[in-house]
Amino acid sequence: MLAKLARPAPATTPFVEARFSKLLVEPLVVKGQLEYHEDGALVRAVSEPFRERTEIKGDTVTIERVGKSPRRFSLNRAPELRSMLAGFGAVLGGTRATLEQDFDLAATGDTSHWRLAMTPKAPTLGKYVRDIVMEGHESEPRCVVVTQPDDEASVMVVGNAAASPLPQPLTRESLERFCASQG
Amino acid sequence: MTRTARTALLIAWIAAIVLLGYYVQQSLTISGDLRLFLPSPQTRTEKLLLEEVGESPASRLLLISLDGAPPESLAESSQRLAAALRSDPQFGWVSNGAASIDDIPDALLPYRYLLSPTLDHQKFDAAYLRGELQERLQDLSSPAGTALEPLIPRDPTLEVLKLAEAWQPAKQPQRQYDVWFDSQGQSALLVAATKAAAFDPDGQEKASDALRKHFEQSRAAPNVRMTVSGAGAFSVLMKGRTQAEATVIGTIDSIGLIVLLLIAYRSVLTVVLGGLPLASAGIAGLAAVSTLFGSVHGITLAFGFTLIGVAQDYPIHLFSHQHPGKSALATARSVWPTLATGVVSTCIAYLAFLRSGVNGLAQLACFTIVGLAVAGLTTRYLLPRVMPEKTRDPGESAWLARLWSFIAKLPRPRWLGVAIVLVCVAVLALASTPMWQNDLGQLTPVPQPLLDTDARLRQELGAADVRRLLVVDAATADEVLTSLESLQPELDALVQQGAIESYDDAARYVPSTARQARRQQALPDVDALRAALAQATAGLPFKADVFEPFIADVAKAKTLPPLTPAALAGTPLELQVGALLLQHGERWTGLVTLGGVRDVAALEQLAERHAASARDRAPSSSATPTSGDLASQSGPAITLLDLKQASEDLVARQRTHILYSLAIAAVLLALTIFAALRSLKRMLRVIAPMALTTLLILAILHGLGVSLNLFHLIALVLAAGLGVDYALFFEAVEDDPAEQRRTLHAVLVCSLSTLLVFAALALSTLPVLRAIGVTVTLGIISNFFLALLLTRPAGEASHARP
Repeated sequence: MLAKLARPAPATTPFVEARFSKLLVEPLVVKGQLEYHEDGALVRAVSEPFRERTEIKGDTVTIERVGKSPRRFSLNRAPELRSMLAGFGAVLGGTRATLEQDFDLAATGDTSHWRLAMTPKAPTLGKYVRDIVMEGHESEPRCVVVTQPDDEASVMVVGNAAASPLPQPLTRESLERFCASQG
Repeated sequence: MTRTARTALLIAWIAAIVLLGYYVQQSLTISGDLRLFLPSPQTRTEKLLLEEVGESPASRLLLISLDGAPPESLAESSQRLAAALRSDPQFGWVSNGAASIDDIPDALLPYRYLLSPTLDHQKFDAAYLRGELQERLQDLSSPAGTALEPLIPRDPTLEVLKLAEAWQPAKQPQRQYDVWFDSQGQSALLVAATKAAAFDPDGQEKASDALRKHFEQSRAAPNVRMTVSGAGAFSVLMKGRTQAEATVIGTIDSIGLIVLLLIAYRSVLTVVLGGLPLASAGIAGLAAVSTLFGSVHGITLAFGFTLIGVAQDYPIHLFSHQHPGKSALATARSVWPTLATGVVSTCIAYLAFLRSGVNGLAQLACFTIVGLAVAGLTTRYLLPRVMPEKTRDPGESAWLARLWSFIAKLPRPRWLGVAIVLVCVAVLALASTPMWQNDLGQLTPVPQPLLDTDARLRQELGAADVRRLLVVDAATADEVLTSLESLQPELDALVQQGAIESYDDAARYVPSTARQARRQQALPDVDALRAALAQATAGLPFKADVFEPFIADVAKAKTLPPLTPAALAGTPLELQVGALLLQHGERWTGLVTLGGVRDVAALEQLAERHAASARDRAPSSSATPTSGDLASQSGPAITLLDLKQASEDLVARQRTHILYSLAIAAVLLALTIFAALRSLKRMLRVIAPMALTTLLILAILHGLGVSLNLFHLIALVLAAGLGVDYALFFEAVEDDPAEQRRTLHAVLVCSLSTLLVFAALALSTLPVLRAIGVTVTLGIISNFFLALLLTRPAGEASHARP
């Protein structure tokens, strides 16, 4: 399955992400583009509702916002990001071994609709991330759901699915159904 | 004396040495504080240096670099080492770059609005809060969201992060895996402040051992290597090297000395007995220092024993002059006038150090004078009573007889003496070498590769200059903080201009009460804040009561008493602020450490401006200083302290003082010898070799490009003492050929044994040991020959003296 997902860099895909938080009455939704560069850099460029560019290169995260000086921090300070990146990198690179270093893997479904659950092994990661679930069909990933230990989550819809409208009202349940559907 | 009585006396003598030794061991504490060797301060700068500042806080920093493994592994080692050091009471502030909000203790959290500069230029009104909240929404949906989410309800303006960033060093190395790395990314960097001062070698050694231990236990991979640099690390290294070398030299010397004495006297018992006056001298000297001073400096011990080594000569004179048919007691009686003159005149030379105004030197003088006196007296009164009868007589030696007559026939042209004096004076006057070495660091210089490493680490870490500091002095801590605050815009300007790279002071961590009160004033009350928040959150997706913790914290901050430096006790900031803000008696001193000083003149101008405005004493106002009216602000005195320059000035003044004392000592010495010999001519003969030798040593050292330091001076006095001894014995010898040979034997053994000791020191790699070794070695050779030639002019060598 991983072999099927593997694709050559550079790769670019649009995304829509919904962030659920106990501080908020409704999820935050941002749109933009994910870029996977040849040099291994991953860029998350948000275009709506504001502009923000996050570049992850090596182990440094740089966040640039309009009118602000760029903020840099180590990937270690955003463990969920680190694990997500590791997951993405491994998935896109088709390297199962790298993935298994950091996560317990559980794959379900078949090629028409698959689901890959990654549970972090390290307790330091577990403090921030309960699990990461990727869903998709054939060679197309559709959703990446990062769930925090407090059950809050961010759901990222990627690829063609990002172009279709998100379900309304936007809740975890409706989004999960959206991710599980064939689009 | 019967054999039994001799044995009993010997046992009593040794018992007395052992008992006194026990007293010394019980009562003596050895101090490592180098300031004992500095004179009492007189100028304000010297007072600052010695009493208030002591040293730059930067000199307590150990700069640590970890390398030899992949970065992940180095970062892990860095984290573990930092954690271990933080829990070790020998270390104060420890940083490896991993800044986190955990660095701010819970007790200080409500103070964040008083400590952070946000409220100086910002009000917590609806517009500001709305901007901040919109940013928090972006944060929540960004990759940093998970980490920030728990902070937002209590601290929506992220004041804690602003504070954590503000408290970081102004210039920082890059971070990898959360910790500091050098610019190549090859080594992880840490900084740890020791609680022990840099001039406390024992405390530094303990800290250094602890650091090694923590490193061994915390390294994440076996091939991780640690490099430690900084003033404390150097003092440990140089102490170790000096001790190791002194031990090797001492061992070689002891073996050589014993062999030499065995060859000279062919009797083990004689050699053992010959050690007793010296042992008595050492123990008595220690007991005297211990009783009078309480503690003794390690350096006093080391050099004291070198200086009283001269006492080994006293029994040698006794042994060489004794011969079959003359009892030891009779011999002692006959050499005593000459010996006593030597002892007294040498002691007088050391009196110069006793009143040098330097505690360490006074100890040294006290130790030496008591030691030499005891050695002289035991040689006269105890040693002869325990010595066996002698079977050999150096007076019968054929080769000594040939040597004596050879020397007696040597020409002694006066013009040669005059020529030597002229050449020496010319060398002293013309050579371009600076006469004096004022830099104490040059006494135990750190090897260049280590200095290079230190400079590189200091550059990478942006660590503060250990040499220059700005010092602010005022009646209260708050006044110091206020003037530090008024200084900040000027320092910021200097950073902008590139005159300095960074600076650090206590006001960066604890603002003055006035500034805190202004910020408190600027905080909205609960109702205003609620209204502003309601307006700010309108249309934003935050839940209604999410910011209640924020409202509670602001309400608390509004009524808090201002944070004082004393309130930091027990927090990680206590040491950082404590090193920069010092109390002494009724006054407070604030230090500004400077990093990457490039333009000293700009700093001097800044200090001068403030000195001028302090003289004007315009009434101080508590209004926020703006850059325009700074010059008119009065302020407490601000001094630019150049620790290196100040200590060099101190050394120079100390030396002037010692030179005067030495001049007085020389006059006293001449008077003592005149009193003993009762003849101006004889006195001049005794003093001439020593005086000429001193001139020769000075000229040779100067000609070779050696600048003199304090230890050269001590060594010159030692050499002069030896010269007087040799000259006295040669001068006193009667016209009896056997007696002449005995004297020649005695002085030969004396000078060879002393030469052995100091020639070994002269070969040392450490300048402080070499200074003494070279000086005394030159002195012995020159004194021996000159004493032989000058005390007995050719014409008189064969005539009986009246």
